[in-house]
Amino acid sequence: MGFLTVLKKMKQKEKEMRILILGLDNAGKTTILKRFNGEPIDTISPTLGFNIKTLEHRGYTLNMWDVGGQKSLRSYWRNYFECTDGLIWVVDSADRMRMEACREELGVLLEEERLAGATLLVLANKQDLPGALTSQEIKDILELDKITTHHWSVIGVSAVTGDKLLNAVDWLISDIAKRIFTLD
Amino acid sequence: MNSQILDDCSLICYDFKPCTDYFDQVIGHIEDIVMEKEFQSLQKSFMDKYCDVFEDTDENKLIYMEIFQDYTQIIEDYIEKQLNERMGSFDMDKFAEDLRLKRPNLDGEIFDLLLSLFDFVMFKEMILDFKAEKEGKFNDVQLGIIVTKLTEFDGSFMK
Repeated sequence: MGFLTVLKKMKQKEKEMRILILGLDNAGKTTILKRFNGEPIDTISPTLGFNIKTLEHRGYTLNMWDVGGQKSLRSYWRNYFECTDGLIWVVDSADRMRMEACREELGVLLEEERLAGATLLVLANKQDLPGALTSQEIKDILELDKITTHHWSVIGVSAVTGDKLLNAVDWLISDIAKRIFTLD
Repeated sequence: MNSQILDDCSLICYDFKPCTDYFDQVIGHIEDIVMEKEFQSLQKSFMDKYCDVFEDTDENKLIYMEIFQDYTQIIEDYIEKQLNERMGSFDMDKFAEDLRLKRPNLDGEIFDLLLSLFDFVMFKEMILDFKAEKEGKFNDVQLGIIVTKLTEFDGSFMK
């Protein structure tokens, strides 16, 4: 154990949560982050690095980390695992061609020891697009029912219209809060 | 003899002290350590080495995180080493356990102190401030040199 872990414990006292947003490139991670933060979403370019936003919601402080999803960047994801309470996996529901890659990358993350304690929220994004797979279909393709190691949920959302986004985050916060703030 | 010792108030107080506050001792030492020149020059030389990489933009480069992780490792190793020297041996688990017990009435300053050492956002702010100051100092020197009117003034004074 190091000071970072100690600090993490102190942050729990402050009702802080660390949320990591990952997914393939063009899934809509940064759009979701900016939508939460009330920023304009009309000029978002591919993320080559990472973004951090701190939001207050329902009495909690959410530190949200969004890391670029391009293939060449994915090996850097590991640098962001530490102390993560919630993992948001963002899926482009209209990108049928890459569902296999999407399932594989998620599978790798779920085996990661440093994410073992994190709640998983799968956002089936871009529900506003014609031809988008439903959250039920995403659940089947990503084989979410096989997950036994993490609390998880899948919710169909649209970052562009904002539809269901709040419900999704509310679920994530409630699940994390049940796990870490009621211990002691 | 026995009663004399028992009557000695300082002896009784002595008995209590060592077990009262391990946590406060550790925090006290950390406060001392980070105020010392050696620590601050360690911090400064690190920032000096990397501050040119950092820019004040919303999106962060991936390399910032790697630099930050190096930084926390160096700072953590240094503080642990210093604590071990000062306290004989420092027990991180005990410190963390004390912290857990103390949670309800913990001083906000202690939190800020640790946060300033081990939080990425604070680290980025610190290194950007350092960079601005470094560049600012350079400007100050320039300003000092550019004051050409002084010679004119001197000349008129001579007349």
